[in-house]
Amino acid sequence: MRRSFWLVCVSVVVSALGTAPPGGLAAQQGTESKAEPVVRIRAERFTFTPSEVRTTVGTRLDIELKSDDTVHGFRIIGTDVNVEVPKRGKGSVRVVFTPTTPGRYTFECSHTCGAGHSFMRGVIIVEAK
Amino acid sequence: MEFHYNKPEFVDGELDFHRFVLLVTHRYSDRIRFVGELEVAHAFVEGLEEAGELELEQAYLDFLFSRGLNIRAGLMLMPVGIINERHEPPVFYGVERPLVDTALIPTTWFEIGVGVHGEVGRGWRYRAFLTAPLDAERFTAEDGLRDGRQKGSRTNAGRLAATARLEYVGTPGLTTGVSVWTGRSGFQFRPRFDVPVHLIEADARYSFDRLELRAEAVQVSVGNTPDLNDAVGRTIGIDPNVAKTMRGGYLEAGYRVVSGARFGDIGAFVRYESVDTQHRMADGYLPLREFDRTAWVVGATYWPDADIALKFDYTMLRNRSVSIVAPNSFNLGLGWWF
Ligand SMILES: [Cu+2]
Repeated sequence: MRRSFWLVCVSVVVSALGTAPPGGLAAQQGTESKAEPVVRIRAERFTFTPSEVRTTVGTRLDIELKSDDTVHGFRIIGTDVNVEVPKRGKGSVRVVFTPTTPGRYTFECSHTCGAGHSFMRGVIIVEAK
Repeated sequence: MEFHYNKPEFVDGELDFHRFVLLVTHRYSDRIRFVGELEVAHAFVEGLEEAGELELEQAYLDFLFSRGLNIRAGLMLMPVGIINERHEPPVFYGVERPLVDTALIPTTWFEIGVGVHGEVGRGWRYRAFLTAPLDAERFTAEDGLRDGRQKGSRTNAGRLAATARLEYVGTPGLTTGVSVWTGRSGFQFRPRFDVPVHLIEADARYSFDRLELRAEAVQVSVGNTPDLNDAVGRTIGIDPNVAKTMRGGYLEAGYRVVSGARFGDIGAFVRYESVDTQHRMADGYLPLREFDRTAWVVGATYWPDADIALKFDYTMLRNRSVSIVAPNSFNLGLGWWF
């Protein structure tokens, strides 16, 4: 039951064609963590690039996902993170995620996107400080 | 889904509801997945006597142990080349798949098997499967390996094939890979003899902003072709003239001339292909030069939505025969994904 040992803070911003909701990151407020630069992940059939992201416990990860083709999903297994990545030309989606326990967290595409959909996986490696 | 209109020179055009694909996925748990892909091909054909077919292209279970090691079992796509595992129509230029991905890599190529796959480091991916082999009895001079697929249908498993692919996907926009396939593909013959088939392939695909470049090269070797040609010739009355070496490749450049417009994207492309299914013959056999082909394909794709592609292309096919003229063709296609 990995889920019970760590805290995840998630917020989602879909900046669809310049109509991003103002204040969309409000859900981050209250997290006392060190921020790192935004991690940009590109999704396309059937890869996330990069597919390996390293961070340390307590660091707030801002992950921005953008698709190069169809709609994909981004789910971090064992957490509540599960968002839709809009299709090419429809903007991006941002996930804010603050792990509190070290470990390897697998992420995967959660929106069926084609013949190789199940290859779309990656890992967030969270190291102790 | 793909709907095609093909108009070769000298003959009537043909309308074809080429593919209708249903993809089903099911998550039993975080570690066990099912993927199924059902295709109706050529549902409607005009001018030819080809019948439609209903095909199960994928039906496998994935047991996901870790990022580096997972097990797959069932009916699966062969991990060879650019298009076989990534065949959704909006993701490739051109109405028809390249000749290389038709004759030498017989897409959509799937067989029953079991194997491992995974990813290590920052983007090194591998897959290695043991599967049912091709059936060499159905290889031809023109279409190479194409008709040899057993497609998981009452498959002869008297022999096994092994296939593997190593791929690097760690640089944004770049995918490079090498694939091999090797199998003993003669099992219908009495007295028994082997037809070892080896395929080696390399490919690269790079996209940056509006630009997309692709390259692919394949070499196939078929062993014991004199025995194979002789045995098939005695069965069907015509010597199939299967070559001992076949090779081919293509280079393609595409550019989105319009990107992000309110009405969608427009891309143009050019592709040069070379395929020779009669490259080297066994002693005593002559190559049929009409199957040493090159093609220039130029065309455009209009994407009103990222998942809908209206495509057209003009294909200028040439061959090395002095008497048989290769026809040019105009092709129109509509493909979509949902
Ligand atoms: Cu996906």
